[in-house]
Amino acid sequence: MRPPSLVPWIGFAAAALAIAFAPTVADGGLLRLLSEVLITLAMAQMWNLLAGYTGLVSMGHQAFAGIGAYVLFVASDRLGISPYWMVPVAGLGGALLAALVAPLMFRLRDAYFSIGMWVLAEIVRLLVAKFPLFGGESGVPLQAVRLVEAESFQQNAFWISGAIGLAAVAGVYLLMRSPFGLGLMAVRDNELAATSIGVNVWRNRFIAFVLSGLGFGLAGGAHFMGTMFVSPDSAFDINWVVTAMFIVIIGGIGTIEGPLIGTVIYFGLRELFNTWFAMSGGWYLIAMGCIAIAVMLLAPRGLWGLARERWGWRGLSVQRHPPPRDEASLSAPLPPSTQGRTA
Amino acid sequence: MAWLETLINGVLLGGLYALFGLGLALVFGVMRMVNLAHGEFVVLAAYFAVFLATQFPGVSPLFFIAPVALAAFGMGYLLQRLLLNRAVATDDPLTPVLVTFGIAVVLRNLMVELFGADPRALDGGALATAGFEIGGLRIGWYPVLVLVLAVLAFGALQWLLQHSRFGLVVRATSDHREIVRTMGVRPRHVYAVVMGLSLAFASVAGLLLALRTSFTPFSGVERLLGAFEVVIIGGLGSFRWALVGGIALGVAQLVGQRLDSNAGALYAHLLFFAVLMVRPNGIAGART
Repeated sequence: MRPPSLVPWIGFAAAALAIAFAPTVADGGLLRLLSEVLITLAMAQMWNLLAGYTGLVSMGHQAFAGIGAYVLFVASDRLGISPYWMVPVAGLGGALLAALVAPLMFRLRDAYFSIGMWVLAEIVRLLVAKFPLFGGESGVPLQAVRLVEAESFQQNAFWISGAIGLAAVAGVYLLMRSPFGLGLMAVRDNELAATSIGVNVWRNRFIAFVLSGLGFGLAGGAHFMGTMFVSPDSAFDINWVVTAMFIVIIGGIGTIEGPLIGTVIYFGLRELFNTWFAMSGGWYLIAMGCIAIAVMLLAPRGLWGLARERWGWRGLSVQRHPPPRDEASLSAPLPPSTQGRTA
Repeated sequence: MAWLETLINGVLLGGLYALFGLGLALVFGVMRMVNLAHGEFVVLAAYFAVFLATQFPGVSPLFFIAPVALAAFGMGYLLQRLLLNRAVATDDPLTPVLVTFGIAVVLRNLMVELFGADPRALDGGALATAGFEIGGLRIGWYPVLVLVLAVLAFGALQWLLQHSRFGLVVRATSDHREIVRTMGVRPRHVYAVVMGLSLAFASVAGLLLALRTSFTPFSGVERLLGAFEVVIIGGLGSFRWALVGGIALGVAQLVGQRLDSNAGALYAHLLFFAVLMVRPNGIAGART
């Protein structure tokens, strides 16, 4: 295998530098928007890790975002620890919930998995709303915010969002270059063939599922720490998944660049709608929904897929390249898969 | 006595849930596809019924069943012909899931923008409150009517699929999409009729539910999850057991409401999870 190109890492370093220095040039409003963009990017990457690389389309990942938020609020308020330190704990909360429900949810296939996850998110939402410990249906403010300096809070919250967004992109990139990622993609493309060469399907799915739960827990915790208020309806909002899904479909499902492009388009169009056309969020979601449906039916590989076909762009490709010719000729080329995804 | 009444009302409410599930199960059985916009179409039908009620005041809402069902059939037919047939043709099970989810988001927000987010209800007049007593138990006419309609709908669909020429064509298309083409069957048309039937059943259920509880554009989610749970509890592809699944869900919801006044839906969801744990293929499915 060819050694990985350095270009992606230079890109990551540039993005990290930009995030580090953004608070010195951007005002409060812009920082809030950028935080939201980075958190949404992380969620889109994590949703894509599951949908694009394992074929599990979840409609219930808001459960992990919500659990992350509530873990952060309750833990830092009860223990009196700065909310910054509770962000990783929020991620662990999401991962733990994912690990607990995976054996049950994996019994459902395809669309049934999607809706089963949604039911799960509803159960978690209704349970959280019932217990006074979590503030009931009206929600709770983040009291632990008094433990941190007020002046630096927004800046630190932005850096945490930035770290989560960067880590999500870099993490999926590294994961997909590893043997584990190769196994994941093999299962997605042909489950039977992957099993027969010794890929443990259940284990691969489980790891991807728990990792995406971790990512949503981190993102949910960091987002609601920034807003300093959480309620069951906002934390367990299906629109977390709707946004991630639209971004992934429009950008290109099953690629790392897809969620990046999709996030830029999503927020670019949203700002355009808000400021230029002064239209409500509802009409914006309607427009995004129509675009996503059209992309799904006309160009299922998304905008990045189109660009790759047309101009041969490689970007953050995790494609493998065969070793030099003399070695390659020893092994006969594998016949192309005759079957797409096995139902 | 109060518990027995709860139980009986739960069974009757179950008829309504079963009607929601029926359309979902039919589409899945024939096309191997789940319509995630099912709940939104149920709510859309309820808005149409409310519109008819304002146009024809004083007419019993039961007379609206036929026009609402016809409109829903036409809508389902067009939806399948114009959009969903393309999604089914990709043979990737994910495409219909994502496309119908997109349609659900579009419809939900469209209804918010057009009709507002305030709760609406259909005025049932005397029907909603009338009832009778048997041995000290008070039972409303409305839930009885709902259960009778649900059983009739299940019976009619079962007969249509098993004994009519149309049913034969549908079953053959479901089994071998490519082979029936050689015998002059147009799968695209068959699928569209099936989707029309599915939405017609769902719209009748939506109208009946609007007589009992108020709804908002966001109620579609609850309707979809209820329909889905009915299908899973009953076992995939089994109509008769879907009726049982609906009744189990209705009883769980009302018993839950008695125990815990504002969280009835939670108990219905928990029942679904319990069934999934014990019998992943539903009550009718084979044990694994």
